[in-house]
Amino acid sequence: MSANATCEFQAKDYKSDLKPIWCPGCGDYSVVQGIYRALAAVGRPPHEVAFISGIGCSSRIPGYTTAYGFNTVHGRALPIAQGIKLANPDLLVLAAGGDGDGFSIGGGHIAHLIRRNIDITYLVMDNQIYGLTKGQLSPTSQKGRTTCTSPYGSLENPVNPLLYVLAYGAGFVAQASPTDLAGMAAIIEEAIRFPGFAFVNIQSPCVTYGEEVQQIKGLKAISENLASLGHNPADRLAAMDLAQHYGEKLHLGVFYRNPEPAPTYDALIRERQAALSKDAPPKERILDLFIKK
Amino acid sequence: MTTRGIDFKALSLKDALDLAVLVEEEAKERYEDFAAQMDQHRTPDAARFFRYMALNEAKHGEALAARRAELFGSAPSAVTRAMIFDIEAPDFDAARAFMSPRQAMKAALASEVKAHAFFVEALPALKDAAVKALFEELRDEEVQHQDLVQAELAKLPPDSGLSDEDFVDEPTAQ
Ligand SMILES: Cc1ncc(C[n+]2csc(CCOP(=O)(O)OP(=O)(O)O)c2C)c(N)n1
Ligand code: SF4
Ligand SMILES: [Mg+2]
Repeated sequence: MSANATCEFQAKDYKSDLKPIWCPGCGDYSVVQGIYRALAAVGRPPHEVAFISGIGCSSRIPGYTTAYGFNTVHGRALPIAQGIKLANPDLLVLAAGGDGDGFSIGGGHIAHLIRRNIDITYLVMDNQIYGLTKGQLSPTSQKGRTTCTSPYGSLENPVNPLLYVLAYGAGFVAQASPTDLAGMAAIIEEAIRFPGFAFVNIQSPCVTYGEEVQQIKGLKAISENLASLGHNPADRLAAMDLAQHYGEKLHLGVFYRNPEPAPTYDALIRERQAALSKDAPPKERILDLFIKK
Repeated sequence: MTTRGIDFKALSLKDALDLAVLVEEEAKERYEDFAAQMDQHRTPDAARFFRYMALNEAKHGEALAARRAELFGSAPSAVTRAMIFDIEAPDFDAARAFMSPRQAMKAALASEVKAHAFFVEALPALKDAAVKALFEELRDEEVQHQDLVQAELAKLPPDSGLSDEDFVDEPTAQ
């Protein structure tokens, strides 16, 4: 089957036999369902999908899909996903991880994937905590948050993931949450279809170490749909304005979609390769270059 | 509990039956997932109950599928799983680590109440008399399912008031 052929797939075709070991009730159970549904809607066969993650509870997610997966090193999902995309641009590449993985130890990588416009979809399961290591402060934890690493309350301002990626110029920026599974699946699908770096911040509650207000009920109470607010996703400045409310309001939907997507790095590389190899001898004659006539 | 892209006004009996089968299938899979989560967390009583629920949902699904096959054979379906979300399936966040059988049954009861509300809400939009009759039947069945869970709840010995969560260690810095 050609790399871009699509055929009928169902969500269950992307579900692996591995049983998740997340805590029952964890938001990540819904996220993986949203991913199954989005992949089925896009219709690329599982063997044409590479799913790369870092380390964390959320980073277990590739194992629960039938896509090729690599549960890499803490904070390093993006550079590895980038390498995979450049080595095999025909693959549909997804990267995923937690707020700690993406915005703390791995925070430096995002800027570079965005400025190169690598065609991957990056899903961050933002639960404002380090879940896997049992509830330490994360870069998106709110100021004043008491955890085992901030017993008197955090003195730090949180990172705003939405503003962060918008400021670096990502072509697609959205937010989703298990409070609206249908919407989440549609947003992930749209992110996958976007030609270029696409970022989705997913508010995925940690039922074990998360705070009460960050659970589904609390999130529902502060959620607002961007489309019903009349937001125009082509307006980057309006998107940045809305993104400032991260942490107080939960805006769901597409903040920004570049109406004229820039060429991707992988496409530019292929173009350059083609230009430079225009006058190159055929592959089978390549050794001739090293043989003295 | 949501649907996407279903026009209830124009719903035919074939599509309504397919929808009902999908609702049962979704619930069955969710209960199986919950049972696996309970296995994972070594809570066998809750796992057993969720498996019992999965079996019930499977039975209802099979009966509805047989009805569909009898009436419409293998005529193609216009509704898909992508159109329904958590109709009768318990919400993902209804599960908890170390669930007692009582908590598991209460989660199942809540989802039966949710499914009943779905059929009640959908009924006024329906135009086809046969579809209406089917939805009324399904609505009433949800009440029977609730009774079934209530009966299981009644069999339980009184709660000690304690839960395993009372004994969970506080997180430590790593
Ligand atoms: C280099 C390195 N540093 C630290 C760790 C320990 N560690 C594992 S996961 C994690 C943070 C997990 O938080 P997050 O990325 O938000 O994922 P979550 O578990 O919340 O989904 C940390 C600090 C590690 N595995 N490797
Ligand atoms: S610790 Fe939190 S993030 Fe990790 S599996 Fe449990 S609920 Fe999910
Ligand atoms: Mg986290």
